[in-house]
Amino acid sequence: MRRKKLTPLVFIVLTAAVSLGAVLVSGTSPQLGLDLQGGVSVVLQPTKESSDEALSQTIEIIRSRVDALGVAEPEIARQGNSVVVELPGVKNQQRALELVGATAELRFRPVLVAIPGSLADLTTSTTSTTATDGSSTTASDGSSTTAAGDSTTITAINNLKAGPTTTTTLAPETTTTVAGDTTTTVAGDTTTTTVAGDTPPLEVTPREEDLPEATVILEELDGDGKAVNTYQLGPSLATGSIVKTASAQLSQNGQWSVALEMKGGASGIDAFNAIAAQCSPPSATCPTGRLAIVLDSVVKSAPTIQTASFSASDIQITGSFSESEAKDLALVLRYGSLPVTLEPQTVQTVSPTLGEDSLKAGLAAGLLGLALVCLYMILYYRALGIVVVLGLTVWASLLYAIISKLGVALSLSGVTGIVVSVGVTVDSYVVYFERLKDELRAGRTLRSSTERAFTRAFRTILAADISSFIGAALLFTLTVGPVRGFAFFLGISTILDVVVAWFFTRPMVGLLASNNLFTNSPRLGVARGLDASPAAVAAATGAAR
Amino acid sequence: MTSPVLRGRSIWGRLYHGETDIKFVGALKKWATVSGIVIVLGLVSLWQRGLNLGIDFEGGVVWEVAAGGVSVADAQDAMASEGLTGVTVQSLTADGKTRLRVQAEPLADAGAAQDISAKLADLTGTDVNDVSLNSVGPSWGQEISRKALRALIFFLIAITLYITFRFELRMAIPTLIALVHDVLITVGVYSIAGFQVTPATVIAILTILGYSIYDGIVVFDKVDENTKLVGAGNSMTYSDMVDLSLNQVLMRSLNTSITALIPVGSLLVLGSFVLGATTLQEFALALLIGLFAGAYSSIFIASPLLAVLKEREPRYRELKRRLSSREGATLPPVTAAADGIPDAKAAPVASPGSLPTLSGRPIPPRPRKKGKKR
Repeated sequence: MRRKKLTPLVFIVLTAAVSLGAVLVSGTSPQLGLDLQGGVSVVLQPTKESSDEALSQTIEIIRSRVDALGVAEPEIARQGNSVVVELPGVKNQQRALELVGATAELRFRPVLVAIPGSLADLTTSTTSTTATDGSSTTASDGSSTTAAGDSTTITAINNLKAGPTTTTTLAPETTTTVAGDTTTTVAGDTTTTTVAGDTPPLEVTPREEDLPEATVILEELDGDGKAVNTYQLGPSLATGSIVKTASAQLSQNGQWSVALEMKGGASGIDAFNAIAAQCSPPSATCPTGRLAIVLDSVVKSAPTIQTASFSASDIQITGSFSESEAKDLALVLRYGSLPVTLEPQTVQTVSPTLGEDSLKAGLAAGLLGLALVCLYMILYYRALGIVVVLGLTVWASLLYAIISKLGVALSLSGVTGIVVSVGVTVDSYVVYFERLKDELRAGRTLRSSTERAFTRAFRTILAADISSFIGAALLFTLTVGPVRGFAFFLGISTILDVVVAWFFTRPMVGLLASNNLFTNSPRLGVARGLDASPAAVAAATGAAR
Repeated sequence: MTSPVLRGRSIWGRLYHGETDIKFVGALKKWATVSGIVIVLGLVSLWQRGLNLGIDFEGGVVWEVAAGGVSVADAQDAMASEGLTGVTVQSLTADGKTRLRVQAEPLADAGAAQDISAKLADLTGTDVNDVSLNSVGPSWGQEISRKALRALIFFLIAITLYITFRFELRMAIPTLIALVHDVLITVGVYSIAGFQVTPATVIAILTILGYSIYDGIVVFDKVDENTKLVGAGNSMTYSDMVDLSLNQVLMRSLNTSITALIPVGSLLVLGSFVLGATTLQEFALALLIGLFAGAYSSIFIASPLLAVLKEREPRYRELKRRLSSREGATLPPVTAAADGIPDAKAAPVASPGSLPTLSGRPIPPRPRKKGKKR
């Protein structure tokens, strides 16, 4: 029977120790909210009513921009009609603010050069080719490294390789020459290495340099954010405002495509046809005959234009689209027709030093509070106070491990939630111990009282914790910003409180009650701590015998 | 709390042993008057001068930066030349460091706030990333308040349902009244004292509600358990039983409040006054006020109110009438309560959920066990 009673105790202590140890060893620590480590928090709202899908698209755009910033744990979430962006620890706060708030524009740009894969693939293949053979067998090794082996691609690669030496001088004036002449020279030439050395490496145009009138290099990404194609693109010929609507369609032969409808008149189909005329047949401004659809510096698709004149309601983008790809593209086009302009509702930047000060103050205050609570409990409940201290240790270890593992940012309001839950947790002990006192006063022995008192006290604890948890859950779902962080941590520590009461407090007190030293010691004695009346002490002593 | 000393124990001893016999129910009128006065004062102040709402509700911009030797007056001049309206500059000193806090009315252009950040960085000779900025549009605050209010309403409904389900509706009503009481007191104190209301304050108030309910449930759980003492064969009215329950859990309530107040007090004193984290101060202040209100209301308002409500039930009204005619109206029910104490301890023995005892010693039979009428 004793062993049975001790199993949960061993279980919870081991769990706490192992999880804390694992977290400490793996070096994970709770991720700090931006008010504790500095950072930027922006709440944005669309300036005018916008559809659900447009807003989701906006969030996607912001997310990819933020990824480019290299923030460790960004949080971009939609809450109601607003978008909350939290960037803890972001280095350049000013740039982050500008990037997040900018409106994304859909642009139609002519494709100058297209290559499969990313520029990184290209660079590695180039160096390897130049290393093995310096001579002009571009066709063979080009096709061996880049799987898509048709001759047009290879020329394209060579064009891009020529990029560093030529684009700087040539691109501004006429881009067609780039595609035309440098192919042979660069491919055969061994100057590739020196080119890589003293001119800036060929790179994807950063977002802030992606201006409508510039010639840019942009990527087409797959679902994992890996580049599947890289394009050199000419200046923007039109924006998404020419689009009326777009939708994904399934043709009779089971192929997914996107049906595109343009607006009428000069700012719609006429503008589009003017572009089509440049690309079909290919001309100097649109040498590949392809038109890239670019949203927020990412190429979404680059279809070949097959005719010079379209009617506004009958434009199709075909290709080997999957259903989701077709739908995504249609969404991008619809978004582009009515881009969401966001306006910051709140902007909060916290300097790293201020964050650090807050963290220190919060920690110091929390630890002092905890120490004082422990002291009070020991003074009041004697040996049982030690149960509280040990129980709080288990509780804190588990909480620390959970917070570290979950990776939810711990903000000042979260810290407050935890400090508050210390009170709730300690109360569970108080409820139990007071119940124990009742039982002892009723003349029962300590040993017989522990289980009975716990059963009754646990009902109370459960009822009270459930009400706390209901509150926390509601606050979490219904509110925004700091209140959510607070509710989250309050909820977690409430659950932990029940767990610790059941698995730790109960067996621990039972263990103490069967130990002579704890029940009868004049200073530590549980019985004394609980009830100094001689009768009760006698009863407890009797039990111990 | 000047009840006669029983059994030679001091008030502390009796508190410790749960043997006080303070008449909570009888004093409901007195305490309700006290609460009423505070609430009315708060409401008058609310109506007359309103709340000192922070920028998160009204809209506005706040910058904070290490002063770097720049005086408040200098900063004020610099800000005036930027064309800001409603500028206040404060100097905050804590932990040996001085910071400047500049507050202004909402800016027409969100980007302008960052320009001012740069100006402040220049002025104080710090990096622009070391300037903390908090800019809130005027409409945002309304949305926050609306959401908080909605959360509050749902919260109240959910808690009412839970208490009705777990206990009974008559226990939910006093809980709700106590909650409203706590919020009114806290908001009133904020209005009277002119403390600034921030999102932290809102969180704190919500916490207080949680505490208040938590505390109330513990008390009601005891009352629920003791209900079986009020029966045909007993000389106790429902009010007596509530009084008895309250006295029994009084020490628990005090201990809980003390252990809750210790960390919050530590946040307030060490966190904000000594170390100067202003957000901690915002949290802790409202928590402190609300904790007092919550602990007080669950004992002095919610439970006595429950007794008053229950006494309206025919069953308990009849009982009260019979008891007072038996014992004589002049005899206060103190004896009943005092007599009731050993019974209260015995009650758990008879509770259906109790487990077999672990010791080998038989439990002495209790005289009155038949009180299980519910």
